Amino acid sequence: MAIGGIRVAAPASRPSLRAKVGELLDREQWLGSIFVSPALVLLLLLVAYPFCMALYFSVSNAFIGRPSHFIGVRNFINLWESDAFRQTFQNAFVFCGAAVGAKLVLGVSLALLLNQQLWFKRLIRGAVLLPWVIPTALSTLGWTWMFNSLYSVVNWTGLALGIMDPPGPNWLGQKYYAMAAVIIVNIWRGLPFFAITILAGLVAIPKELYEAAEADGAGPFSRFWYVTLPLLKGVLAIVVLFSTIFTFSEFNIVFVLTHGGPINSTHLFATLARQVGLETGRIGEGAAISLYLFPVLMLVVWAQLRFVRKQAY
Amino acid sequence: MSGITRRHFLTTTAGTGLAGILATGVPPVLGQQREVSYLCWNNFAPLMDKKLAEIGQRFTKDTGIKLKIDHIAAAQQAAKYASEVQSQAGHDLVEMRMHFPWLYDSQLIDLGDLVADLEKKYGKVLSSAGETARVRGTWRAVPQYHAMFVATYREDLFKKASLKIPDTWEDLYTAGKELKKMGHPVGIPISQNYDSISTAGPVLWSSGGQEVDKDGKTVRINSPQTAQMIEWYKKMFRDCMEPEVLSWDDASNNQAIQQGKAGWIHNPVSAYIVAKQMKLPTADTINHHRTPGGPAGRHETDVPRHIGIWKFSKNAEPAKEFIRYLLGKRETYDEFIMSADAFNLPVYEKLQDHPVLKTDPKYAGLKAEGVQYHCYGWPAPPSDKVQLITNSFIMPNMIAKAVTGTSTKDAMVWAENEMKKIMAG
Repeated sequence: MAIGGIRVAAPASRPSLRAKVGELLDREQWLGSIFVSPALVLLLLLVAYPFCMALYFSVSNAFIGRPSHFIGVRNFINLWESDAFRQTFQNAFVFCGAAVGAKLVLGVSLALLLNQQLWFKRLIRGAVLLPWVIPTALSTLGWTWMFNSLYSVVNWTGLALGIMDPPGPNWLGQKYYAMAAVIIVNIWRGLPFFAITILAGLVAIPKELYEAAEADGAGPFSRFWYVTLPLLKGVLAIVVLFSTIFTFSEFNIVFVLTHGGPINSTHLFATLARQVGLETGRIGEGAAISLYLFPVLMLVVWAQLRFVRKQAY
Repeated sequence: MSGITRRHFLTTTAGTGLAGILATGVPPVLGQQREVSYLCWNNFAPLMDKKLAEIGQRFTKDTGIKLKIDHIAAAQQAAKYASEVQSQAGHDLVEMRMHFPWLYDSQLIDLGDLVADLEKKYGKVLSSAGETARVRGTWRAVPQYHAMFVATYREDLFKKASLKIPDTWEDLYTAGKELKKMGHPVGIPISQNYDSISTAGPVLWSSGGQEVDKDGKTVRINSPQTAQMIEWYKKMFRDCMEPEVLSWDDASNNQAIQQGKAGWIHNPVSAYIVAKQMKLPTADTINHHRTPGGPAGRHETDVPRHIGIWKFSKNAEPAKEFIRYLLGKRETYDEFIMSADAFNLPVYEKLQDHPVLKTDPKYAGLKAEGVQYHCYGWPAPPSDKVQLITNSFIMPNMIAKAVTGTSTKDAMVWAENEMKKIMAG
């Protein structure tokens, strides 16, 4: 271009918007944030917001539809004075301890069995998952009939085999039997999760280790104790962690099977929280019941994740 | 002079109008589709739900107001209502069981004008419905119908053993001993369900006892009258019933009499209606009589059901119009009641001798002479604290403790402590 005989260079064209966006997306910190943001928004909306609301409710005298005030930890203190809550607290530990312990032992046994060369292996592995797949409320209704005082097939079988005295246990009407019943259903429901996850861990153990142990003269028990179990520790820790959380927060089985009875002997935190928070409208107290074990569970999660990390590195 | 151009006029008016619609959230009348939504329970008398839908269609045809009816299981109502109130969004009309108007009183509009009209036509609202729908002097819901707990018994067994129809709870004990010997025990649940409270209440009231005083504050459960009630339950459990009642849910007593096991239960007439509909052999053998009484009179647990309108509803007027349409016209109300086959009965005094009671001779025992209807927690007003006492199943648990070995005194002291903690909370 010439102006008055002087040559001037044309101005450099600005980069287009598309090019700018392209440049931004090339930077890892931008691209990463963009990919993570939908999940983050979902987490904030569906997890963080309700959780913060529950935290606020638990330290307030919130009642459905009425203005609420901050009352500190009064809900948590008052709850401890309630016989029903203390019973629930005890139930939660008995229920969780017994159910998770049994699921762990049975889950390992079932996984070892499923790891063998069996006929119809795939069919059996699929069938094992059924209790996990069926909606809990529906399957628990089936169990309600099995434990029903009038039509209990469990008692009928026990009486027919001569291992029970007539009329058989009152499964849902006596506190120890009722607790046993909810634990049995929880084990039945949760066992596939243990078995299939542990099976995945078992499959990943190199065969050479077993061959070497066998060459050294190790029997089945020694192979399990010195090879299988140490290599499964990480998987077991994760499974137990998840199961502990799920079992502590169990709702459906108790709600359908016993409604927390007899005499509150099977109430868990979730069922009691519903009774107080929703059926009566005292959501402040209900939230406090739900969150009572939160610090303990946090501690469990922290300890177990630390253990898993140690195993991994 | 600068005139207003046609383009300028149209732009200005359209802009202002749109801004107005957006600001108020209300479309102009011409564009408004009047519509109301009703959240209703899954009626234990399903034919009544069908009839409601039919009446709803007629309402839309007659008034041009679209009606959307949703149904929900009774057990889910509390959770659903809580979420609607918390989010201030949902249905316009809600079906309210028993004490619900007390729990949501600040969220419900005053429906006193509708109740006044209905009372002019049909007479006063029954006491149980009034005590629960009128909160501190304001009608927060309109009573629509009620179902009461009566005695359902095996007439054939009573005739066979020449047993007297029980007029008092003591009479029931006498008959119950014979029934158990015949292999057909009495079936009164003593467990964490509402039927347990529905029977324990009348037994307690008829002996003069109460859980909480009518002042709504003072706990009265630890009393000689309660002791008398517990002692009655102890001997009933020992001599007239089976231990299975400790595990029963709300359906178990119905099933026990329908399947031919129980000889006497305390329940609304649903046990008979279902047996009749399913053509069970026991249907012909079942009959009803009034709930037994005691030294302090004859009392029955009543389950009145009301309709309320949320304050956040933007369609309060058409919603009121629907209530008027459903309950305000005698022929429509009758049609509605008849569809429930005596499970749900009119809740207004002048309609107590309703034609539905003449549709089956086995409903003759349902006439309301000399009965006092009450809801859970009576005589205390149904506040949230009294509801928590009910929902915590303290009374059935007190009885369950006593019949399984705890002394009467200890069981009462336990219940008293639990109730006092709730009242103090």
